[in-house]
Amino acid sequence: MVVNSLAFLWFFVVVLAVYYICQPKRQAQNLFLLACSYWFYAQIDIKMAGLLAVLTLVFWFIGRSIEQAIGQQHERRASRLTTLSVVVGIGALFYFKYLNFFIDSFVAAANVVGLHLSWTGSHIVVPVGLSFFTFKLMSYTLDIYHGKTVHERNLGNFANYIAFFPTILSGPIDRPKPFLRQIANARLFNPDNLTAGFRRVLWGMFLKMCIADRLDIYVSAVWNNYDHHSALSIGLASLLYPLQMYADFSGYSEMAIGVALMLGFKVAENFKRPFFTINIANYWSRWHITLTSWLTDYVFMPLNIKLRDWGVNGTIAAIMLNMTFIGMWHGADWTFFLFGVYHGLWYIPLMVSGQFFKKTKVKLNKVGLPTLPFALRMVGNYLVVTFGLMLFHADNISMFWDILCHLPEAWDGSLFLDMATMVNAAICTVALVWSDVQEEWFPNSKLWLPRWAERWRMELLMATEIVCILLFGVFDNNQFIYFQF
Amino acid sequence: MKKLLIHIVVIAGLFAVMDRSSGMLLKFLYNRSNATDAYKISYANETTRDAILFMGSSRCLHHYVPAILETELGASCFNAADWGIKNIYYQYGLLGNILERYTPQAIVLEVHPCDWLQTPFSGRERAGSLAPYCGVSEACDDMLKLAGNYWPCRLSTVYRYTGSLPDLLFGRWGTMNRELKGWKPMDGQIDTTGVKAEEYPFAVDTERVALLERFMDVCRQHNIRLILTISPMYVCSQEDVFLFARQLAAKHHLPCIDHYRDQDFVNHAELFYDFGHMNRQGAEQYSKKIGKELARLLTDNLNETKAAVPEIAD
Repeated sequence: MVVNSLAFLWFFVVVLAVYYICQPKRQAQNLFLLACSYWFYAQIDIKMAGLLAVLTLVFWFIGRSIEQAIGQQHERRASRLTTLSVVVGIGALFYFKYLNFFIDSFVAAANVVGLHLSWTGSHIVVPVGLSFFTFKLMSYTLDIYHGKTVHERNLGNFANYIAFFPTILSGPIDRPKPFLRQIANARLFNPDNLTAGFRRVLWGMFLKMCIADRLDIYVSAVWNNYDHHSALSIGLASLLYPLQMYADFSGYSEMAIGVALMLGFKVAENFKRPFFTINIANYWSRWHITLTSWLTDYVFMPLNIKLRDWGVNGTIAAIMLNMTFIGMWHGADWTFFLFGVYHGLWYIPLMVSGQFFKKTKVKLNKVGLPTLPFALRMVGNYLVVTFGLMLFHADNISMFWDILCHLPEAWDGSLFLDMATMVNAAICTVALVWSDVQEEWFPNSKLWLPRWAERWRMELLMATEIVCILLFGVFDNNQFIYFQF
Repeated sequence: MKKLLIHIVVIAGLFAVMDRSSGMLLKFLYNRSNATDAYKISYANETTRDAILFMGSSRCLHHYVPAILETELGASCFNAADWGIKNIYYQYGLLGNILERYTPQAIVLEVHPCDWLQTPFSGRERAGSLAPYCGVSEACDDMLKLAGNYWPCRLSTVYRYTGSLPDLLFGRWGTMNRELKGWKPMDGQIDTTGVKAEEYPFAVDTERVALLERFMDVCRQHNIRLILTISPMYVCSQEDVFLFARQLAAKHHLPCIDHYRDQDFVNHAELFYDFGHMNRQGAEQYSKKIGKELARLLTDNLNETKAAVPEIAD
């Protein structure tokens, strides 16, 4: 069930109605929410709903044991249990997502040195949302161990945190403490939450259907037949892909946050205008924020502390490992590995020059927009991200290499333009850029409206968004890019 | 709760006003467009009153010259075909809309394998082009119900024009010459290097065949003379890809004029724009030829023209 489909709309309308009918009874509300989350997950992957339940149970028991061990001051036992939870989480990820990749890579490496192995990977179906919910599971036990949260005694509440249907498929990867605190109280019917949530759902649909799916028509047409296209067309498709990714993933995040808000939950933000950044460190602090902050807290910081004796080299080693993890989190392929390494390498000049450790503020001109040097640095950073995403977008290393080799040969070809698609996408992209510029540099300004309309500003914007979605949207129920991770 | 209800009512009201007013503006642009799609669809659905209509996909659009056909047939003609492999889903809906206004004397349907085979590149979604005419006829609505989200979203006027704003905005500068009565000539000649015949290794689709037969039944019920035609291609498949069409025509006692392998055209590069479409010269030559055949058919007794082909199984 795609989140921007009519099927989901009907599902959610029913959920919302029953959910608020249950509102005075918190337990009934939570039980109903859990049933809906599992039903939603089972619609997509019924076999893996069992795995989700088992892992939830295992981590809940481990969490309880860690807390008991800490209470009894058995520090070593608590540490071992935490390690066990990480092993289980990583083990699940490794088995479902990476086992075949490592087997294939090992066999390929053995063949290179003359050992002809006939091992083949088995057919393993990757559970939908695995990378997202295993990170939530691990953050639960790690946070208990580090004293950031306490064990949730109510298994139903914990299961709700893991399986929460707006976020289980593609995040945001929420931390346990804020979610469990919210679920401990009944969510009362609040019209403001409903309208604000609906507004975000609409904006997410606009991003996904009007920008991401429109751009996808052009980008896929070129990228999937790159050998028949000119360097100009491949270049344009590559430049549009980061925009498509942003609209697709932030669109999903907006919808997830909006749906959660309508259910009375505040979920962590996942994007903060990532292309208005002047270096790669800045970019990663605003792109997929919940993943990068998770890895910063549980991978980078511990590694950095461990390697602090090496000075800047230790930080570089920590960041390289961290970025490699980010790359590999997306999938089991050398393209993702290189994607991570590529981004890690861009951190090195920042660290050596000391820029990584200090916050550079973007200088603004009289109008309130970035000055030309900063604007150019933003463009440069966008190009850096674009090249990285070419790796990310390629099916495998050989495809990426083929594209690079094809570019000089196809230099004199003409630019392929699908005017209708491009104009539709361009109109909507202008709306996105305008909205992002306003939020970034003019947060207090508002679009001028006549006085009579001012009172109905939000309603007017929402009605306009619906009309725009109907006029510019692609209604093919395209799946989200991050659904595969 | 009251606050929420006010929000909902205001949003719904504003949406209704904006949707309807934007829809009217889009319809205005749509009706004035000279872009092939918008002009062909709007004129065929809303305006044509011609005695003989030529229906089909791009091969019909480029091959049948109304000016020549009118001379041969002595009746007014309009080429109501459109490009984009418009299959039987579209043709059936269009026929329904036309019949709401008037009954043509004859329809010449240029058939294409996409009208009866399960090809992956032309399906139910082709009827989506009729979205602006949602509610005009039962046949059109039946097709729109099959063509995606148009039926569930029928209350929205804007959705009928989804994705087409750029085409409508720039439609006035489209290349469709209205004086040609729907014919779209192609100038240029085929580059014959590496040209291969198009093969159709697909199964027969029962839903499409049923629609083709419904199309034939509707014509019969309205006393419209229906003639199936197959125009030439530059290169022909080894297989008899149009056998099914001829058998279906025979089953329904309809004439089917097959020029697929007509040696006056096949392999004559000077008459073709690409392997499946004739250029201006080819279309004019073909229209003269088929015009004479059609004239004979439309005046002869239908029984005498029954095609001598093996019968199709029910």
